[in-house]
Amino acid sequence: VYQIPEHLFARRRAARGALGAYAFLAPALAVLLLFLLVPAVWVFGLSLFRWDLIANSPTFVGLANFERLLLRDDLWWQSVRQTVYYAAVSVPAGMALGLLLAVLLSARMPGRGLLRGAVFAPYVTPFVATIVIWLWILNPDYGVLNAALRALHLPGPSWTRSQDWIMPALILYGVWQHTGLNLVVYLAGLANLPAHLHEAARVDGAGPWSVFWRVTWPLLSPTTYFLLFVNLIGSFKVVVPVYVFTNNTGGPDHAAETIGFYLYQQAFAFFHAGYAGAISVAFFVLILAGTGLQLRLSSRRVFYT
Amino acid sequence: VRPLQPARRVRLGRGAPVLALRYLLAAAFAFPFYWMLVLSLNRADAILQLPPHLWPQWQVQNYAEVWRFANWPGLFANTVATTAGRVGLALVTSTLAGYAFASMRFPGRAAAFGLVLAVSMVPTEVTLVPNYITLARLGWIDTYQAQFVPLAASVFGIFLMRQYFLTLPRDLWEAAQLDGCGHLRYLWSIAAPLARPALVTIALLQFIEGWNAFLWPLIVTETDRVRPLQVGLAAFSFTDSTRPELLAAGAFMTTLPILIVFLLAQRQLVGGIASTGIRG
Repeated sequence: VYQIPEHLFARRRAARGALGAYAFLAPALAVLLLFLLVPAVWVFGLSLFRWDLIANSPTFVGLANFERLLLRDDLWWQSVRQTVYYAAVSVPAGMALGLLLAVLLSARMPGRGLLRGAVFAPYVTPFVATIVIWLWILNPDYGVLNAALRALHLPGPSWTRSQDWIMPALILYGVWQHTGLNLVVYLAGLANLPAHLHEAARVDGAGPWSVFWRVTWPLLSPTTYFLLFVNLIGSFKVVVPVYVFTNNTGGPDHAAETIGFYLYQQAFAFFHAGYAGAISVAFFVLILAGTGLQLRLSSRRVFYT
Repeated sequence: VRPLQPARRVRLGRGAPVLALRYLLAAAFAFPFYWMLVLSLNRADAILQLPPHLWPQWQVQNYAEVWRFANWPGLFANTVATTAGRVGLALVTSTLAGYAFASMRFPGRAAAFGLVLAVSMVPTEVTLVPNYITLARLGWIDTYQAQFVPLAASVFGIFLMRQYFLTLPRDLWEAAQLDGCGHLRYLWSIAAPLARPALVTIALLQFIEGWNAFLWPLIVTETDRVRPLQVGLAAFSFTDSTRPELLAAGAFMTTLPILIVFLLAQRQLVGGIASTGIRG
């Protein structure tokens, strides 16, 4: 009797297996390719055209969009500066507050879960619903914050109406909104620290302050770098708070416009698809450069246990 | 070598001031939620009075009145529909892909996995314009599916399911195979039920993202027929700023489901977010 060699079976089984595996992967890969990978490549092409999305066909303009963006568009550079301002203040503030709260709320105490929940809740509640309340809290005339400042005989800023104060208002909201993330990640970091190092330091006579700075803080550096990265990326992407805070205007004299909001406006308020493509590319490069820098820094500087 | 023991606590002060600081900081974070409730129960004229009323005035009829100002049942239904679509599809795509990466041998696996890793670096903001064009060509503008199909696969979800399936003993699959079980059957009746904690985490995170969705629905919807709650609420806030107590009532209604889910599932939710630093 003629026998089919075993290896042919094996190959056929493998082929069927591969087909099956790709059938399992297909739904996820199709979505990721069509709506994430293809667009990421496509924006580079898009950025070379002038196209207003509504009227007919795109016109090839080469690098003209980039020439305008980088050399002649003051609003773009203003949005870059303001995004850097937002990140430079909100990221360290949110991380410091998150770390402080994590240290304070890691000890056993009554109502600990509730306190943690109160800090974390803003991170999972909708932007719009919480911002409309913040707008009333920050209302220059009738807001409770300025009423409190007046009671302390301090001048109340005019917040969202003022060119100088709208960014601090956004930062205040941003810190309130994302400190909860820093809290829970730092709590997880603290819970994973080995206890014997703290004990050894205490036995050697170190006070709580020096135990924190000499032992806890260096041991937490992987957590800190992770959070720094996540927070920086997040703060560079801020769009919705600007939209809701300023009623889609960008604030007095564009004072609240961020890169993300400028991109949104160019694309969906002015329908400059090609120009928005160029902004997307610039933004993409910025984020990738930040990611690369972060990876390099973290591999060199982080203290791993 | 002595095994590493987790620090039970970091001792940093125990005095009354430190204790007070804890409660004070937590209260500051909770205040906007309290204020949402206070504003929503204010009498119409109270908001413009100084100093502000710090306690609720129990004007409960605000919640009845706000229903006349927007099609809330429609907005709620739209949010429920799009959120359900998003959660359901993310669970299916994550489970299938996570299983394939964890348990199946096939040519190109490393490349496919690298691809998934690579796309996780793409910021969604970059995809807004191209995806809008794609959906316009598909004729999907102002539909439900436009709001969740582009978001139907989650890199985090795939990773999480893969991690979970990797922990299942290989014997389990071999035993099932002897009983004539194929991959799909094994996944459906044995592996996926065992991965329930991971599925719950993915469902929770997708629920939060879906319920809070704003920017993408704002871009791809045009009418109240398909618009979700948060887009409707923003429209209400921009057009009717004369009735802030009603706006606050609306805000509270749209936030309440999230707060309930948060209270019920705080542990899983926090665990899922703390491990990745992302919401979706």
